[in-house]
Amino acid sequence: MYAIRTEGLTKDFSIGFWRPRAYRALHGLNLEVTVGETFGFLGPNGAGKTTTIKLLMQLIYPTSGHAEILDRPVGDVSVKRRIGYLPESPYFYDYLTAEELLDYYATLFGYDRGERRRRVSALLDQVGIAGERRLPLRKFSKGMVQRVGIAQALINDPEVVFFDEPMSGLDPLGRREVRNLILSLRDRGCTVFFSSHVLSDAEALCNRVAVLAHGKLVANGRISDLQAFDIRGWELIVSGLASESLEKHRPRVQRVTPLGEQRYSLELPLTPGPEQLLRELTDSGAQVVSLNPIRETLEDFFVKKIAEQESERWSGAGEPGQQS
Amino acid sequence: MTPRQQTARFVTALAVMLAVAVALQVVRDRAFAFSTVDRQVLYVSNAEVMRRVALSYDALLADVYWIRALQHYGGERQKAGSERHYDLLYPLLDLATTLDPRFTVGYRFGAIFLAEPQPGGAGRPDQAIALLEKGVAYNPNKWDYYHDIGFIYYWNLHNYEKAADWFARGGNLPGAPFWLKSYAAVMLTRGGDRQASRVMWTQIGQNEESEWLRKMAQMRLAQLDALDQIDVLKRIVDAFAARTGHRAQSWEQLARAGAVRGIPVDPSGAPYTLDPDTNAIGVATNSDLWPLPTEPAAAPELSGNAPPVPR
Amino acid sequence: MTPGVVRAIAVSVFRESVRDKVLYNLVFFAVLLIAVSYLLSQLTAGQDIKVIKDLGLAAMSLFGLFIAVFIGIGLVSKEVEKKSIYSLLAKPIRRQEFVVGKYLGLLLTLFVNLAIMAIAYYAVLGAVAWVDGAWFRPHWEAPAVDPALLKAIAMIFLQLAIVVAIALFFSTFSSPMLAAALTFGLYVVGHFNADLKNFETVVDSKPVAYVARALYYLLPNLAPLDVKSEVVHAVPVPATYLLLNTAYAVVYISVLVSAATFIFARRDFK
Repeated sequence: MYAIRTEGLTKDFSIGFWRPRAYRALHGLNLEVTVGETFGFLGPNGAGKTTTIKLLMQLIYPTSGHAEILDRPVGDVSVKRRIGYLPESPYFYDYLTAEELLDYYATLFGYDRGERRRRVSALLDQVGIAGERRLPLRKFSKGMVQRVGIAQALINDPEVVFFDEPMSGLDPLGRREVRNLILSLRDRGCTVFFSSHVLSDAEALCNRVAVLAHGKLVANGRISDLQAFDIRGWELIVSGLASESLEKHRPRVQRVTPLGEQRYSLELPLTPGPEQLLRELTDSGAQVVSLNPIRETLEDFFVKKIAEQESERWSGAGEPGQQS
Repeated sequence: MTPRQQTARFVTALAVMLAVAVALQVVRDRAFAFSTVDRQVLYVSNAEVMRRVALSYDALLADVYWIRALQHYGGERQKAGSERHYDLLYPLLDLATTLDPRFTVGYRFGAIFLAEPQPGGAGRPDQAIALLEKGVAYNPNKWDYYHDIGFIYYWNLHNYEKAADWFARGGNLPGAPFWLKSYAAVMLTRGGDRQASRVMWTQIGQNEESEWLRKMAQMRLAQLDALDQIDVLKRIVDAFAARTGHRAQSWEQLARAGAVRGIPVDPSGAPYTLDPDTNAIGVATNSDLWPLPTEPAAAPELSGNAPPVPR
Repeated sequence: MTPGVVRAIAVSVFRESVRDKVLYNLVFFAVLLIAVSYLLSQLTAGQDIKVIKDLGLAAMSLFGLFIAVFIGIGLVSKEVEKKSIYSLLAKPIRRQEFVVGKYLGLLLTLFVNLAIMAIAYYAVLGAVAWVDGAWFRPHWEAPAVDPALLKAIAMIFLQLAIVVAIALFFSTFSSPMLAAALTFGLYVVGHFNADLKNFETVVDSKPVAYVARALYYLLPNLAPLDVKSEVVHAVPVPATYLLLNTAYAVVYISVLVSAATFIFARRDFK
């Protein structure tokens, strides 16, 4: 059984009032997410990620194709008991307090009063807003609202959760907390399906990812398997580098950014590897602060992928496959 | 079930429910003769209050009340003669004309049908005059209302002095037709007679504004013709009685005696009735011209023997 | 349809109305009634009872109308616009339950509102009757604290229930402004509806008369539910009449709410 499965999922929107044209937001999406996986659904803004999630939540209806969650068709009310959903930039009734909101949602699941109280308290603690439980939501900051959103998604101990851009608008502390939360969900055996346009989130958390661009799936698989996200260079941060040493090695460096007293960020090309230069610099007395690969951004990746697709189409190779 | 089948089923269910709603209304309306008109008048019987409540929609509301007045009149007409009450005609017309004081048709409709005796109208010439006097108050230069008031005094109330007074005042207004003043003179000299009535009704029948007014005038003129014809027939019947010593029992008898040619019919085509005992002649109850109006009688002191009353 | 879910949504509507300070209109109502009754007692002689009765019923009807329309048009559209509908529909509720719950919630708000108004109303009537004393009482068509007034209030509630259903129906697919205009429009039409019935006596062409009669039956017919004048003038209102009206209202409301759920169930929430 798959946690989530889509087959040929397509969505057209009609644009324009007088002579409506069809705008295809999603082209025949085929996706499979196994139970217990943490799955990253990546793509630039406007790729169709939110459309996909809305189709899965049956907030919108597909033009063609179908989808299943836990082997039941999407929209089945019994399956909704076992899932949780955090929309992008959520809004909750701002005249309610956090506690009241969670209690209201809990009522919709049919829990009795004692059960509701237990769950609500536990969740408020878990997301860290127990202190503000009696505050009306209109007084909450964006980060706090996001936490409430996560809490309401988990009110029923779901087996599958859907997070749409869970990190958006959060400060680094908030992002760290959400990451930890997703990890703890994974540890509990929950299937986590989250969408993002930030690659580093996926790298840190996911087993597998799918990449969406202009409504089409352009990559799907384990991160390590994807040939995408190529490294295109290295960033070496050194300290204690004397200027003579810097001048000597400058030709091998693409860019030098001074960071302070004898402290520089050096951008090195992909080839030759950085090991040689590293040894020479440390031999000359500098200290290595950090060495990081400079990856292709997701944006670069898409552009490349789409260019590939376009050229394949023009050369008459037919519809491109969906594995890269 | 395909979406289309689902939709079809749903729409059918809705249509059935609507039909049930309609049926309930029909049952309710039959069981309880509900009328907006009655309750509206009960609730807001003061026209001035209504005018304030209506804000800037008074002209529209005037129209609504006018339509209700017509419906009320029409509804009453459909009842059996003795049950026609026309109670709400005056309040409704009063509301309509207070909301829209320039509502000419409202005043003039009231003039005719409020003054008209039962069962054709409300039989309340006083209400008709009150309505028209309100019209005069708002529109002092509209000769039509003066004419109508004078006419009511003449035709319904047989008060020739008052009639003359109103005709004269109306006739003196700028724009008044030449014949209005002559009515005043006729009132004072001849009082009421058929010829004067005929002239007045002919004039009314030339009114271009209202179809019903013209129709009314045509009917009245036909009735006046019938009265003429009845006078002729009366002479024939009386002559027969004098000649034979007993009253004619039927038109057939008179026809066989050669007094009349066939059964006489009135201008609408219905045969006249002849009462065998009194020999009174009248129009049949199913004739369009029934009932014949009570004519203004020629005022005895004005029948030509006494001097004219000074103005 | 799960009663628990429908109930939860209805209660949330009621709670929102309360927190939106809708019930403050009651204060205004009470103040209005008391002020007017005091002023009138200084002026008219003994006829103030009728005016107070009229005013109270009219105010109940009007305030209720505003609540019905302005909350009614937002019942569905506000959640959709603010997107709180997203997290709500991911919970185990059917869209139909959502619509019905919202409707019943506003009905509950109106019921509470009207009930409190009725209490204030009777209190004021009682006070005025007590103050006026025995002189004027025989001249009244109906007693001051007249239980028959409840019939009028019940019918007002039915009228408002229909108006809410109309507002809800329009709110499932059109913008709040348009929904408000259409609902008010149908309310006005619904009061003059009875005139359509007798069009035949005024209009010459038969087809027009048939169309008018069809419209009379199909459009919301609110005028027969208005028994204010009867009750104030002590004209009896039979129970069968009230029952038929209630049955009509229930069926008509079902049509509207069903249509609303049908439309809502098929909508995409972009």
